[in-house]
Amino acid sequence: MQNPYIPYPVVVDKIITEVDTKDIKTFRFKFVNPEDEAKYAYIPGQFGELSIYGKGESPIGIASSPTQKGYVEFTVQKAGVVTQALHEMEEGTLMGLRGPLGNSWPLEFLEGKNIVIVGGGFAFTTLRSLINYMIFGDNRKRFGNITVIYGARNPGLLLYKDELIEWQKRSDLNINVTVDKGDATWTGREGFVPAVCKDVAPSKENAVAVICGPPVMIRFTLPVFFDLGFSKENIITSLEMRMKCGIGKCGRCNVGSKYVCKDGPVFSLAELDKLTPEY
Amino acid sequence: MEKRLIKKDALAGIAKKMAEEFLVWAPIKKEDNVLFEPLQKDGEPFFAYLNSKNAPKNVFFPHTEALMKFTRTEKGMVFSSDENKADSSVLFGVRPCDAHSFALLDKLFDQEKYQDAYYITKRQNTTVISIACVKPPYASCFCTSVDGAPVASEGADILLTDIGSDYLVELVTPKGEKLAKYFGDAKADAAADTKKNEIAAKAIEAIKSKIPAHEVKPILDKNFDNPFWNTIHGKCLACGTCTYMCPTCHCFDISDEVKGGDGVRIRSWDSCMFPMFTKETSGHNPRVSQKERWRQRTMHKFKYYVDNFNAIACVGCGRCVMSCPVNIDIRKVVEDISKL
Ligand SMILES: Cc1cc2nc3c(=O)[nH]c(=O)nc-3n(C[C@H](O)[C@H](O)[C@H](O)COP(=O)(O)OP(=O)(O)OC[C@H]3O[C@@H](n4cnc5c(N)ncnc54)[C@H](O)[C@@H]3O)c2cc1C
Ligand code: SF4
Ligand code: SF4
Ligand code: FES
Repeated sequence: MQNPYIPYPVVVDKIITEVDTKDIKTFRFKFVNPEDEAKYAYIPGQFGELSIYGKGESPIGIASSPTQKGYVEFTVQKAGVVTQALHEMEEGTLMGLRGPLGNSWPLEFLEGKNIVIVGGGFAFTTLRSLINYMIFGDNRKRFGNITVIYGARNPGLLLYKDELIEWQKRSDLNINVTVDKGDATWTGREGFVPAVCKDVAPSKENAVAVICGPPVMIRFTLPVFFDLGFSKENIITSLEMRMKCGIGKCGRCNVGSKYVCKDGPVFSLAELDKLTPEY
Repeated sequence: MEKRLIKKDALAGIAKKMAEEFLVWAPIKKEDNVLFEPLQKDGEPFFAYLNSKNAPKNVFFPHTEALMKFTRTEKGMVFSSDENKADSSVLFGVRPCDAHSFALLDKLFDQEKYQDAYYITKRQNTTVISIACVKPPYASCFCTSVDGAPVASEGADILLTDIGSDYLVELVTPKGEKLAKYFGDAKADAAADTKKNEIAAKAIEAIKSKIPAHEVKPILDKNFDNPFWNTIHGKCLACGTCTYMCPTCHCFDISDEVKGGDGVRIRSWDSCMFPMFTKETSGHNPRVSQKERWRQRTMHKFKYYVDNFNAIACVGCGRCVMSCPVNIDIRKVVEDISKL
């Protein structure tokens, strides 16, 4: 019997400070035992428990794509005890990683469809995983048009800046990056995510919208997609609840009969409608 | 099924004999309470008890337990040992409702995906011996409303029933049969069976407290927003006693403790009745008041567990009813829901 509470040993291989405020960093981990990488086979949309012995664990969405071999990445905002300790770490430090946990973005359901990705703030992490997965090599053929709408409060708060530039160069991707307010050097779009969605107006034909962001963004973005004619089955999102075990035992993260850690975190709006509105 | 008869006064001797070979958890009298504790060499089990003050879930799911240890190195704290271990043991003399709770906890901790190693190891290494309630111990017992009975073996490996002069010993599972040698060689005859069945029927009759536990499921399905939920929690102190006493409540916390260079990751009971239980770092709390927490507790037992495992997560032991400092009674809550 595998003990699901014991983390895989990992080493902090690389730390990238993502934003000007320095409170969001991407951590790249390598497995201490190379054979663990295969055991950690994951799908975009899943999460892991970052485990710092002596501090505790935090559930964090996997930001890298399974097509990136040799490491796993997580983008973490400094918040409380565990995330703070993580932010103070140096490259070369040993720690633990559990997972992969939860369901995932519904790749089979997405195949053959036009994909609209909407992300706000630092909730963009598992969407980045999904984008990198879909555009990798032959994978790209399995999906229709890919439209990305991604917003941050200001240019300094955009994640994955180098990647955004690379993506914008591709002809098979429609990338729309926006900031609430630009600065002296910003030449891109200005405006809130819901407004940009209205402007870009992706077609509902054979399309699925995958939406992740802070609650206010979601609240104002959903009506735009309803107006565009997207059904609740075709709008997918990811939930957050306080977690501990990550495997449906500790009883902490349920929304109705479903555990967000085990049955989620990804749900369609149609599925959420069947649950209790307690999240 | 293998069945034996033993003399009624033989029980304590059997428990003590087992204790020479295994860790034996037995009912022990402690001042006014009876608790399941390891039977010590000079200890005396107390079988003339009603029910134990605390639920015996502690044996498989301790109030606090070490999950793993870790140690400091130059490159950071690293894992040092898995603390998943369990002595070969016997849980001697639990009531049928509490044995039933083990069968319910198994559904959660021993799922196909994600097996809880700590719970399962203890469960596998422990033989459960139940003593039937020939006379239901409390007026608040309502096991018959929640798929249990005062004389029943679900969740137990061996069932002992007082049939007058003797105990009828039923070795229900292969695990129970392995302890056959402790129960002498007097085979039970058909008369003993008949006697037991009569006693079982009478004991069911004697349970007077009844709740419409099955009827409320379809009502709960539709009434998450009913104003009724404003009416339960007013007095609740959020003390968590009800959940700590409950044999089926299984919520836990995981935390790390460090002393010097070494440390231990532990899990300990937690409670959905505590305000912090679902509070996120951002300050957001999906269950803002005691109303939502009481709704969660009720829903978890009578709807969510049924949705997920096709079983009600209450065994009718009445501990929460007897222990709540402000006398909130889950039986009344269920009764009221049935009238919505
Ligand atoms: C599925 C999922 C994916 C997430 N992905 C990301 C991500 O990609 N990047 C990121 O920065 N944050 C993410 N979060 C939020 C992140 O888990 C919390 O910010 C983090 O746990 C706070 O931990 P802490 O120890 O620093 O804070 P403390 O306040 O010290 O937290 C104590 C403990 O409470 C729990 N906890 C507190 N808040 C949350 C919360 N919002 N969600 C879950 N558990 C919580 C954790 O077990 C944590 O260790 C995600 C949460 C979930 C549920
Ligand atoms: S809810 Fe109350 S009566 Fe039911 S099993 Fe738990 S403690 Fe016993
Ligand atoms: S025992 Fe009573 S007061 Fe304490 S949390 Fe439970 S219902 Fe509330
Ligand atoms: S985090 Fe423990 S049940 Fe979901």
